[in-house]
Amino acid sequence: MLNCMRKAGPIAAILVAAAGPALAETGPVVGQPAPAFTGTDSDGKTVSLADYRGKLVVLEWTNHGCPYVVKHYRSGNMQAVQKAARKMGAVWISVISSAPGTQGHVSGPQANKLTEARNAAPNKVVLDPKGVIGRKYRASNTPHMYIVGPQGKLLYMGAIDDKPTAWGDPKGARNYVLAALGEIKSGKAVTQPSTQAYGCTVKYAY
Amino acid sequence: MLLAGMGPALAASVVKTKHVTAELLSENAALAPGKTAWVALHFKIIPNWHTYWRNPGDSGEPTVIEWSLPKGYEAGRIHWTPPERIRVGPLANYGYSDIATHLVPVKVPESAEPGSTVTLKAKAYWLVCEQTCIPEEGAFTLSMLVLPGPPQPDPGTKDIFAKARAALPKPSPWPAQFAFRDGRFELSVAAKGLRRDSIESAAFFPYTHGVVTYAAPQSLKVETDRLVLSSTRSKAALKDGSAVGGVLVFREKLNGEMVTQAFAVTAKPGAIAPTATGTALSVWQAILFALLGGLILNLMPCVLPVLAIKALSFVRHGAAGRRHMGAHGLAYTGGVLACFALIGGLLVAAKSAGAAIGWGFQLQEPVFVLLMAWLMLVIGLNFAGLFDFGGRFAGIGQSLTERAGYTGSFFTGVLAVVVATPCTAPFMGPAIGFGLTQPWYTALAVVLGLGLGLALPFLLLSVSPGLLRFLPKPGPWMVRFKQFLAFPMFATAAWLVWVLSLQSGDTALLAALAGAILIAFALWLFKLGTGRVNRSIAVALAVVSLGGVVALARMADSSAPASVAVAPAGATWEPFSEARLEQLRQAGRPVFVNFTAAWCITCIANEKVTLRQASVLAAMKRANMAYLKGDWTRRDPVITRHLAKYGRAGVPLYLIYPPAGSAAKVAVLPQILEPDAFVADVNRYAPDKDRRKAER
Repeated sequence: MLNCMRKAGPIAAILVAAAGPALAETGPVVGQPAPAFTGTDSDGKTVSLADYRGKLVVLEWTNHGCPYVVKHYRSGNMQAVQKAARKMGAVWISVISSAPGTQGHVSGPQANKLTEARNAAPNKVVLDPKGVIGRKYRASNTPHMYIVGPQGKLLYMGAIDDKPTAWGDPKGARNYVLAALGEIKSGKAVTQPSTQAYGCTVKYAY
Repeated sequence: MLLAGMGPALAASVVKTKHVTAELLSENAALAPGKTAWVALHFKIIPNWHTYWRNPGDSGEPTVIEWSLPKGYEAGRIHWTPPERIRVGPLANYGYSDIATHLVPVKVPESAEPGSTVTLKAKAYWLVCEQTCIPEEGAFTLSMLVLPGPPQPDPGTKDIFAKARAALPKPSPWPAQFAFRDGRFELSVAAKGLRRDSIESAAFFPYTHGVVTYAAPQSLKVETDRLVLSSTRSKAALKDGSAVGGVLVFREKLNGEMVTQAFAVTAKPGAIAPTATGTALSVWQAILFALLGGLILNLMPCVLPVLAIKALSFVRHGAAGRRHMGAHGLAYTGGVLACFALIGGLLVAAKSAGAAIGWGFQLQEPVFVLLMAWLMLVIGLNFAGLFDFGGRFAGIGQSLTERAGYTGSFFTGVLAVVVATPCTAPFMGPAIGFGLTQPWYTALAVVLGLGLGLALPFLLLSVSPGLLRFLPKPGPWMVRFKQFLAFPMFATAAWLVWVLSLQSGDTALLAALAGAILIAFALWLFKLGTGRVNRSIAVALAVVSLGGVVALARMADSSAPASVAVAPAGATWEPFSEARLEQLRQAGRPVFVNFTAAWCITCIANEKVTLRQASVLAAMKRANMAYLKGDWTRRDPVITRHLAKYGRAGVPLYLIYPPAGSAAKVAVLPQILEPDAFVADVNRYAPDKDRRKAER
């Protein structure tokens, strides 16, 4: 019996060590298919990434209480980016992954009220209180932006622009999302496909 | 708000927000024209909330100060104290909790008019977060008087500035390289002589994104000439690959307390050689290696004869004793494992007490080597047939092993371990070396693995009757074989005597050989008869031999070299010796003594920063102060005595001895040498006129 255990130990250790990296997900990778998801929007309807196959999709992780998000909405910048993206034919999905009781968590009607009050222009607002979609995308901050191409490939992930501050005006900053959309539409490769996102941390349920 | 005892500095403003009480403080009571004045934006943050470092990590934002200064005044950048890592779920930030002091140098123009009042204005923005983040800001005014002459420190802010200054990262004394490999970030620092067990922790905080994943653990490997810190690479791209800058923070165990040392590192890209597998062994690998080492140890000349004799006893008992052979084998294994458990326990205890030991440490003790040599001789003489031990002779392993019975087998196991100690086998070194760097249960597991390896062949022999068939039948050859086995024991004894001669010189060699002859003679006398006279002579001779051992022990202690260090050409220091210290003091010179060790990071930091500064060297020259450096890397007993005298268990220890005849006492300096404080201590020995000049 002791002999058996002595043999099993090292083998078990080897198996676990091999499985380890496989168990830890690697997260979304630019150039690879974007993680599929299905969620519920602010009107209670089911929304899937697959629904938008063939279209450009912009995902915006948001939290209306976060000062960085406030900076973009109060200045009208985020609304302008949303409208410009939709004009380019993209579908804009805002995602709220705040857990119940945390900053940014809202119900469907509350989310719709916010959209109206801020004159925002997302196609859909997906409520993700359990953080399932957020974790799939490894969304770490608000705002955290992703662009999914018509073939379902991830083309951009990261910050909305190059001014990672809670103060001041986003005007004059280089907007990574609009730049990437412009490059995609003209058939070019995205020059900055992956940047460090900034903003408040996403308030996941832990 | 007026700070008590502030003198000429007028109102400094305080901004109190919901989460932070922020003040703009000045180090000096007044501004001196042409000099750099230091100010600090000092935060007291409410519990559980934090502000951020220059690189905030996964989220957050560094504090920013915007200055409005009168013409000619220039504010520099914030000099950041090292941050702590603050975890937020699966992410991490670099920031400060409780207190944050942002030091800023302000250059005062030469044209500043003495007697005038100057107003320095600043607007600061900071993000303070717990779960949620609140951007806060404050407007600060500092009105200060301009006064000529040397700047006087403000006693009200002295402690805050001293604490922040002490924490500031020092320039790294070691060159560094970085590399990305297989999704990992590796930082290699060329630091010689560091020890893994004196470093409590090490952390690297890069200045930019694109280097590490902030929440990922950082692992540290210490080798003889470098340190490698490794972590998960950042998912973001590194913007400028020409160098990676950051702060390397060590927490070091020093004289019973934890000291933090921070170094500003600039690492160039370069290939980093993989760390030696010896230090990267997994626990299972180490145990396996130990097992193999133990097996091979059976073949070494120290152990093989003992085993062979025991195996012979199996042969002798033949079929009759076969039933109990398995139990004998287990008893033997028990003896071996018990012995190794004891050794493992001693090694772990010694290691945790700070001793630098590994397998083979015992061979550095001359007394142990001498005793082992004599033991090998005695066993060899027994095999050769000079004498036999009687059953009444308790306390000698051989007699115990001759006993039929399980106790006999147990003590054979113990004897096997005892004779194995001078020998090592391949695989043992890396296994035990690795084991000693791990927690006590791992170290013990590795040592027991070694014991199991040692006991295995005999155990297998005893439990499988089939193998016994391969043993030859008993016969007169057994006597000759036993006599033959005496020679490997004599060879081991000879080797040990040679080791002893290297350690303790020719007098020790004489003592060993003389003792050997006396012992052999005593044993012969003992065998001759049971007469009381014979017995007493034998015992007397044994006592004389032991006297040789004691003399050897005393000799070893006093002849140990005082210091291994040799001063390089052009060095400002000499190696420490008590004689030289006395000589210098008698010559009327004060002496600065620095006890250091290659693995002491604080020592290195002090030497490379404070002790190299021009102002320090000039002060020592002015005071005609000699500098003696004592290297404690090999735990020189003379230095250990000095350390104990001042109540220290380890280095660093900085002393200033006054010249002989002076009424002053020996000054014991703090563990962390601040240049200004050190210069002040040195200046006490400068002749008065020079001291006054220095203070101007």
